[in-house]
Amino acid sequence: MIELCHITKEYPSKDGVILALDDVSLTVKDGEIYGIIGLSGAGKSTLVRCINLLERPTRGQVFIDGEELTAIGKKRLPEIRRNIGMIFQNFNLLEQRTAEGNVRFPLEIAGVNRKDAAERTKELLELVGLSDKAESYPAQLSGGQKQRIAIARALATKPKYLLCDEATSALDPATTDSILELLRRINSELGVTIVVITHEMRVVENVCDRVAVLDSSKIVEEGEVSEVFSYPKSEIAKQLIIPELIRSVKSSGGKKLRLVFNGETADSPVISRLAIECGIAVNILYADTKNIDGRAFGHMVIALPAEEAEGEKVKEFLLQHQVSFKEEI
Amino acid sequence: MSRLFVQLGAQGFLLGVLETLYMTFVSTLIAYLIGLPVGILLCVTGKDGLRPLAWLHRLVGFVVNVFRSIPFIILIVALIPVARAIVGTSIGNEAMIFMLTVAAAPYVARMVESSLKEVDAGVIEAARSMGAGLFSIIFKVYLPEAKPSLIVGAVISTVTVLGYSAMAGTIAGGGLGAIAVTQARPSNAEDVIWLCVVLIVIIVQIVQEVGMFLARKTDRRLRMTAKRSKAKPRKTRT
Repeated sequence: MIELCHITKEYPSKDGVILALDDVSLTVKDGEIYGIIGLSGAGKSTLVRCINLLERPTRGQVFIDGEELTAIGKKRLPEIRRNIGMIFQNFNLLEQRTAEGNVRFPLEIAGVNRKDAAERTKELLELVGLSDKAESYPAQLSGGQKQRIAIARALATKPKYLLCDEATSALDPATTDSILELLRRINSELGVTIVVITHEMRVVENVCDRVAVLDSSKIVEEGEVSEVFSYPKSEIAKQLIIPELIRSVKSSGGKKLRLVFNGETADSPVISRLAIECGIAVNILYADTKNIDGRAFGHMVIALPAEEAEGEKVKEFLLQHQVSFKEEI
Repeated sequence: MSRLFVQLGAQGFLLGVLETLYMTFVSTLIAYLIGLPVGILLCVTGKDGLRPLAWLHRLVGFVVNVFRSIPFIILIVALIPVARAIVGTSIGNEAMIFMLTVAAAPYVARMVESSLKEVDAGVIEAARSMGAGLFSIIFKVYLPEAKPSLIVGAVISTVTVLGYSAMAGTIAGGGLGAIAVTQARPSNAEDVIWLCVVLIVIIVQIVQEVGMFLARKTDRRLRMTAKRSKAKPRKTRT
């Protein structure tokens, strides 16, 4: 379990103190994938670096499995860091080492003997599907391959935790998906607890169990992904989750409904049935839904008919079919 | 052909070349024995270094700058008594090596510092996140990652020392510089001076080319075009 208690991080600067984190507290449970989302400059990167003390918080405490990191000695810190792997946006591979050499690197530092290190390295390259690239240098690998090597490297010392700092932000959507799938697999098969830092809602939606929304150095919202995703409370969460929605809602007049599909609704043609059964044609302003295992996820914005009575009929129909909705102005 | 040219002959010039090489390489080597650790110290104690230590950084930086700002010809004169005390003599190749080393070590330190600073901060951070300590990071990250740049720095340092070594004549050292300055100039043997110039140019060219070849050959960042064509088709992702 990772616990951050009242973490504040200040940086001195010419014009006084810059507050990067303002009294942030959160708990990451064992076995989960925890997302921290926010716009750039919100303090996400500083926050994740406080977990392994790459950045030392100005105030507050960090606990890993109950052990207070902010209070331990210099000898113990490297041992704990070996239990917390980390991957980065720019991969940060050693350019002068082969893929295999990179994966072996943390084992060399930890003083693992050659034979065991070679075996473990081989295993890890297999895990990330890059056994054939063992002798390649980073300059010869694609972005996705580099991140896979970085993941293998981060897992070399069999850490219990893995921190991902914008790990997919430099990758294209297809590669992002394949990396996210790998992370999910590492979580479910190896039981590694993962903390994901990102500015992309897709990433959170795809892999995370719970999410914290960070804005201007503070956590403004936290909860189960499905909950935050369906009913974002803070302005910033709404902006991150459904930027197009806000735009489409603002750009046209009249009453609108935002339908939320959070997996409770079966993937049935609700809008078509609405049109057929109620005889009301609604205009779809925005839709981003997908079908996962026969359940619908996503958002849809529909314009309500001008007549009040018809509008009520639409709402009634939606209630009957267990589609949650929210009126948007 | 001047009388001096004939008098020196192939043997005389060869001796000059060998003495120049001897002075240059020995002093560059010793300069690295001192400059490399000092350069690492400067990098590590700097503001964004692994162990920022402002006072030490400033102190060492100051000493380095002082030595670097003294023109070599003046440094030679100033160091004559010091050389006598340390090397036991103030003339000859050994005294010259001492002086060249004193002049080159601070230069090397700055070269090393700048090479190490080029190493991507993200890679250093990654190493820290794995629990790497100061010495692991220096020997397993900084130095190997900066190797190509360090080699380029060594080439530049060597060429600079070679240039300085030509002033050896002023304190009765040997080498091509001494031949040109103390022997050829007074007797106006222009052909001797020019041959010395040509020989020095050739030495510099060889050092430069060999050094750059080594730098390129060891740099793994530049091999992508060469090998990618041979790479197997990408494995299907799972």
